[in-house]
Amino acid sequence: MNREPRFDELMDAETTGEERERLRHVHELLLQAGPPPELTPKLRTAPGSESGVVHLQRRSVKRRGLLLLAAAVSIAAVFAAGYGVANSRHGGTTATGVVAKTVALKGTAAVPKAEATLEVWKPQAGNWPMTLSVSGLPKLPQHVYYEVYLVRNGKPWAPCGAFRVGSPSQALTLRLNAPYKLRKGDTWVVTRPAPGGRDPGKTVLRPVTA
Amino acid sequence: MRRNSADMEIALDVPRLRAVPSEREPAPATPAVEPSDAELLARVAERDRAAFEILYGRYVRPIFGLALRRLGDRGHAEDAVQEAFAAIWRSAATYRPERGAAGGWLYTVARNAIVDRLRRNGPAAGAELPELASAEPGPSERAEESDTSFRVHRALEELQPREREVIELAYWSGMSQSEVAEYLGLPLGTVKTRTRSGLARLASMLEGELL
Repeated sequence: MNREPRFDELMDAETTGEERERLRHVHELLLQAGPPPELTPKLRTAPGSESGVVHLQRRSVKRRGLLLLAAAVSIAAVFAAGYGVANSRHGGTTATGVVAKTVALKGTAAVPKAEATLEVWKPQAGNWPMTLSVSGLPKLPQHVYYEVYLVRNGKPWAPCGAFRVGSPSQALTLRLNAPYKLRKGDTWVVTRPAPGGRDPGKTVLRPVTA
Repeated sequence: MRRNSADMEIALDVPRLRAVPSEREPAPATPAVEPSDAELLARVAERDRAAFEILYGRYVRPIFGLALRRLGDRGHAEDAVQEAFAAIWRSAATYRPERGAAGGWLYTVARNAIVDRLRRNGPAAGAELPELASAEPGPSERAEESDTSFRVHRALEELQPREREVIELAYWSGMSQSEVAEYLGLPLGTVKTRTRSGLARLASMLEGELL
């Protein structure tokens, strides 16, 4: 569970009087404000060219349709390229099978140094075995676990397994499973249960986008 | 989602990846003088793309946060953010410094874009108002909270990255100061120093606005 930091834990004893109260007020504002949102890939860069900004309001249905078509083609190409790269890198087969997809994941603002690689293997009887190599995630309290979630239509859709870590500096390799029929565009994130245990919780690792 | 603790405990330990932390805090680099928001708006009015990108970097997260709170849907919030920045690009020349701070002007432009988007789409299913009275904050309280979050998030963007990092970890990762120190590979004293200096810098930035 997320714990709220206590002001006295953050502050040294040398900060006293008015200054301490001033900083305490900032502390309360931070708690009130909550975390800033994680930017979506679309928002990570300023709107394109000058004309792109100016014409943002004038997007036509046709243009939107073309963009969607281009995105679909790109996704298919990336999926196919990933399949090819993974196959060539792994020589096509291993003891586990054939890698169908490799997903690089990066920590969100809460855990900026965390990273992971998820390898999805060709299905076996409808199950997609996966190997997750992860580092930089902090240890969670007892009985709280990180979750690997299949993302569909941009949202965490179905769990693929839970895990825990011993310490932030500990790197792990885990074997998981996606017992779902995968579709083009599917990807994965790693989440941490939100306060109150609501699923799927806060995303801590998300796919790296080009 | 909770799992039985026996699940998935199949991890393999590997050697520590992080370097041994330095015991000494390196001297901070002298920060370059950053252009003010008002200066950037004046440059954007003259179609300075670089100034627009700096302004975007400063405000995209606060505006996205504002949009998410008001619209309750990431897709709509994304659209609202893009519309807000399109409006900023189009109307930067209408900003008059003598009428108020640039931050306030940007907040108003963003809020108008979000309200326009809300009118067009209606609130997301999760953001619908309940039929019964509740103890939840009313519209004015929510607006005030949104304003506070916007200003705090905007101020966070101004911190040095190493100060912002320890503050974000301390407040929103669930880690204790000792865990933050271990995670970053820094001495605990350095983490506390950075946290304190970050809070002090935030206090200075928010002075007169929220303090």
